[in-house]
Amino acid sequence: MLIDDENLFHLVFEDACSLLDMALSIEALDSSDEADEKFKAWFPDNTEDRPECVFVDLNIIGSSMDGIETIRKINTDYGNGCVIGIISSSEDEDEIAKAKAVGAQFWIIKSDDIEPRLEEFMKDYDGYINKTAPFKIYR
Amino acid sequence: MIEITEHTRNVLLEVAKKKKVYIEGNFLKILKAPPEDKEFEEYLKLCKEKDTATRRKRMDVAKEVQQQNKELEAAAKENASLMKDLKIALEEAENSKAEAEKLRDDAMQDLELLQQKTQFELIGQIVKVALLVIVGVGLITSFMYGIAIVSDNETEIIGPAWSNMFSILLTNAFSIVGTIMGVKYATEKEK
Repeated sequence: MLIDDENLFHLVFEDACSLLDMALSIEALDSSDEADEKFKAWFPDNTEDRPECVFVDLNIIGSSMDGIETIRKINTDYGNGCVIGIISSSEDEDEIAKAKAVGAQFWIIKSDDIEPRLEEFMKDYDGYINKTAPFKIYR
Repeated sequence: MIEITEHTRNVLLEVAKKKKVYIEGNFLKILKAPPEDKEFEEYLKLCKEKDTATRRKRMDVAKEVQQQNKELEAAAKENASLMKDLKIALEEAENSKAEAEKLRDDAMQDLELLQQKTQFELIGQIVKVALLVIVGVGLITSFMYGIAIVSDNETEIIGPAWSNMFSILLTNAFSIVGTIMGVKYATEKEK
């Protein structure tokens, strides 16, 4: 799942994931509130529909929660059942520390050339599922 | 993975051959060619190549548009900043203009005051000189008339002459005072 207010990035991300064979389907949402509703509906029993991995933008315009708050809510209120992290153009150290504190497993720097970062992310993916991989920033 | 039936396979190959329509999207990733079916394997390969090319093209276009949007946003921000600077500069220019106008008015007022002062000083000087002349002439003629009376000399001529002279001097003195007051009144009225 991708939570990002920029619809153009949805296209880029979906195509990049498809080209890298990362996922068969990606649900792209433009609001963290919509994501919250979905996770609320899935929790606690419906684990089948719940996404395996969630990429959250840091600043989601038009939503009541930013990316960090969304991750905190998914991890604490809805069972911490998926690989989750931030995908943002920001490299703010304070924000990165906050994301790490709420349980984000990775931080991908969003830029024009997203594919190499996603490729690198895929290599570490098993570690994220097992919760053995340390927090990592993909620059 | 989905292994498709022979009928579906044939239809797909025929549609591709005749209509140039190929399977697209992630559905391709779960399709599997029947074993030993090289033709369908080639077809799937071609479908994947076309799909990859389309996706890459779409992604490049989306990235380009994304980049253009970023540039537009940056340009809009720069424009807003320039407009802000321009507004500040305009305000400063207006303030400077108002200040310059105020200075000009002050200077004009000072000049006017200076001119008036000079004018009054000049009038004052003229009045002083005129009054001195009047007083001087008055004193001299009175002195001469006095001497004529004291020395018991003929006063038939000097007496009326003194009287005429005095009346003329007084008239002139009042005329000067009147003129000065008139000028002063007119000047004050102009203010």
